[in-house]
Amino acid sequence: MAHEVISNVKKVERKVTMSFWIGSMQKHIEGFKELTTYNDIVNIAAPKEVYIPLINGVSTAFEVLVKEGDRVFVNTKVAVRNDRFVVPLFSPVSGVVKGIKKMMHSSLKQVDHIVIENDELYESTNSIPRFDLENATKEEVIEFVKDSGIVGMGGAGFPTYFKYLTPATLHYVLINAVECEPYITSDYRMMENYTQDLITGFIALKKMANAQEVHIAIKKSKKTLIKYIQEAIKPYPFASIKEVDDVYPMGWERTLVYAIYKKRYDRIPCEVNVIVNNATTAIALGQAINHQQGPTHKMVTVSGNGIKNPANVFVPVGTPASHIISQLGGYTGDQITCVAGGPMMGKTMTNDAWVITPYTNAITITQTVKIDDMTCLRCGTCNDHCPAGLLPVRINNAEQAKNVDLIAQLHAELCIECGLCTYVCPSKLEVTEGVRKAKRALALKKGV
Amino acid sequence: MKFTYKVSPTMKTRQSTQQIMFLLTLGLMAVVLFSSTFYFVEYGIDYVIHLWSLLAVAVLVAVGSEVVWAYLLKKDVLAYLKTSFPWVTAIILVLMVPISTPLYPIAIGTLFAIVVAKLLFGGFGHNVFNLAGVGRTVMLFSFGASIVPDLITSATPISSIANIGWIITDPALVEPFLAQFGGITGLLLGWYPGGLGETSALLIMIIGAFLAIKNVLDWRIPVFYIGTLFALASIIAVVQGIGVWYPLYHIFAGGAMFAAVFMLTDPVTNPTSASGRIIFAIGAAIITILIRVQGNYPGGVVFSILIMNMLSPMIDRFTDGWQLALSKKYVISMVSVFVVGAILMGVVGLNMKAIVIAEPEPEVPDITLSTPISLDQSATAVKGVVLSSTTEGDFEVVLVEIRGYSVLEGGYDDALPNKIEVKINKTTLKVDSVKVVEIKDTNNIGTKVDNPKFLDQFKDVDETSSVDAVSGATVTSLSVVRAVFAALEHVKGGE
Repeated sequence: MAHEVISNVKKVERKVTMSFWIGSMQKHIEGFKELTTYNDIVNIAAPKEVYIPLINGVSTAFEVLVKEGDRVFVNTKVAVRNDRFVVPLFSPVSGVVKGIKKMMHSSLKQVDHIVIENDELYESTNSIPRFDLENATKEEVIEFVKDSGIVGMGGAGFPTYFKYLTPATLHYVLINAVECEPYITSDYRMMENYTQDLITGFIALKKMANAQEVHIAIKKSKKTLIKYIQEAIKPYPFASIKEVDDVYPMGWERTLVYAIYKKRYDRIPCEVNVIVNNATTAIALGQAINHQQGPTHKMVTVSGNGIKNPANVFVPVGTPASHIISQLGGYTGDQITCVAGGPMMGKTMTNDAWVITPYTNAITITQTVKIDDMTCLRCGTCNDHCPAGLLPVRINNAEQAKNVDLIAQLHAELCIECGLCTYVCPSKLEVTEGVRKAKRALALKKGV
Repeated sequence: MKFTYKVSPTMKTRQSTQQIMFLLTLGLMAVVLFSSTFYFVEYGIDYVIHLWSLLAVAVLVAVGSEVVWAYLLKKDVLAYLKTSFPWVTAIILVLMVPISTPLYPIAIGTLFAIVVAKLLFGGFGHNVFNLAGVGRTVMLFSFGASIVPDLITSATPISSIANIGWIITDPALVEPFLAQFGGITGLLLGWYPGGLGETSALLIMIIGAFLAIKNVLDWRIPVFYIGTLFALASIIAVVQGIGVWYPLYHIFAGGAMFAAVFMLTDPVTNPTSASGRIIFAIGAAIITILIRVQGNYPGGVVFSILIMNMLSPMIDRFTDGWQLALSKKYVISMVSVFVVGAILMGVVGLNMKAIVIAEPEPEVPDITLSTPISLDQSATAVKGVVLSSTTEGDFEVVLVEIRGYSVLEGGYDDALPNKIEVKINKTTLKVDSVKVVEIKDTNNIGTKVDNPKFLDQFKDVDETSSVDAVSGATVTSLSVVRAVFAALEHVKGGE
């Protein structure tokens, strides 16, 4: 209680110093991270069949490199995205390709998946070459990153190499280890367990960016991790830790870059000479360099009051969520809400048959609680907290009035759907969903 | 296994509107307790009972009318009340009226606020005007006389300063004026009668800080409202050359602090953006002070709230857009609104004049004159006794004691003579003026002679003249004439 008051006072101060005419644009939210920070990581073996989803971002343009009946190995390149980005996908197991099956993906879309029957031999192939980072040029690193299938592991899945093709001068590589979503601790546990790969990863990223410094952003509240990483990066004077407040959505690039560098940018952080990568992205890159291993396995936080034994699990990509959940003792109730990702930005799933992708970081399972909403009291709390500086309640009103011109004036398209407006709403209204509807109405009109 | 689908985010803060309203009610009840303590200590239990009766009536009317409304609309009554919070309006309304308010005006004020200003507008969240503000205004216009402070709980800080034109320029008058309420510290503490919950600025500030920390209200509104009020009053103070007590008086006296914390912050009726709320608060402060120093009503707080409520949708529309891109627009408009207010205040301040309240002229009863009395004949029976005689230049001032009605005819045991002072011109030996020093005759009858209509007759009379007696007070009139005659005799004899 006393602590809460103190932290609230601090928040008021920050509001004053930040921008008293816009609001705090962020909020401390309960993390529930203790559920999975300290217990053992559960290694989950691949099930009888794994399913590799042929989707990256919104694109399903993939060239499948294997055919039914082919024998594949761990790290065999099975498909590659072939539109304007190149993103290869690797097999996490050895076995036989059973064909292609349409299944629901963690984005709720029906997507083609390559089905591989696991022979449980885990024979491996070296489709990722040995890489001499020390003597490589910037271009060679970018090429390596492209061939290793490294994408934004924080959830976005955006091809990492592409970000580094920017002509902008970059001063800092910012490693985003904020992990601001409640429940999720997978980044924390990855950094703890794969510290050397993290270091290799950020050295490679620094080389790609031609940057002078590497900054690792960690929440102030993660004291043990900060201490540990500080010790580990001592031999690298160009790397340092930037401690940030325990607020949501500190992990969003814009919020993070503003918190550390006090700079706002228009489209991408490169405009202010910063490039941001998730810590697990750096680790995945480090693993590719150090162990010639593609992004075939993933640390996933399975947490919430809907799962019997919350834990971080280390699983092969392509494992169905149901398999993981049954390994952790199953659900705790008859009515649960299952989210692919964290409770704020994750997608609520309609079943648990979807599979883990390289960029899945969490499964959040909570017991369903019915919360009654009530009339908006126009308190404007959503407006004060929107990290994008939008006016969610006004966008909702405009959407209800079907006033698309007003929606355009309110710049609904800038919304990243972080969910904070719904979170803070004391009347328990689905504010974010209203903004989503407004965005769709706006996109429809722009399309016409 | 059932997977329930709910759009993300699936996590919500624990704070609810119910919780916000609960904390707000708690804050208001703290004010009620302070007020109860004050009236108990200073005036006794009867006053506390009346306070709680007011509260009970207001809450009953508010809740009752919503129950009937929900019943008529065939809604679940309990569920309706849980999302409507009618008692908050009732408590705020009670805290704005003085203790002398009878029960029926508060009932009608509450009824109007709830039914007309709230339910007919669509219920909670849809009202345009601050509900308690509407109730208070209705009471002010409909029952003005019955809700002004009574004799015991008379002069409030606001009515006192309003009576003298909202300014005191004479430094000597400031201290005794402020002393009525225990000085500025007294105003801050609020241990004086006034609007039931409006007096203690300090208590309200503490509750406000607590509610702001608890995210029940936005700190911007009280801070910018009180800040602007202080700044604008300071401008008047500087222009008029008066002390810092003046802006402090503006923020501590009357309903300003109460409104800043409990009424302007009503989220339903203020703008939804942070910048909008700041503009709203600055605007309300300007209107408050303008009505105070320029309007006919003693206080401007409630009217400023209602006027700004009307502008809320417009302000919302004005601040619409991408906030990050509009910072400059926001800051410029806040500053502009303030500057306009400051200029207005400079002009108003220059033209403000302290109203000097003259001691009211004592009322002079009308008298009629009747029978003439000639001076020389008057003194045949009763003679005046000269008590003293002093020379003042050309004049001799003679104090005469003369038996009047009470001695001669009254028959009282302790009857005393009257005393009259006569001023006589020593050269002409004529009377210049006559002054009644003491009339011991019957009050309101004998005392009638102390009237210029009677006394002025003596100008330039001598022993041969005659003057008309006051009808109904002939004997006392006669005593005055006798005294004048005695004085004339004395001056003449003294030569």
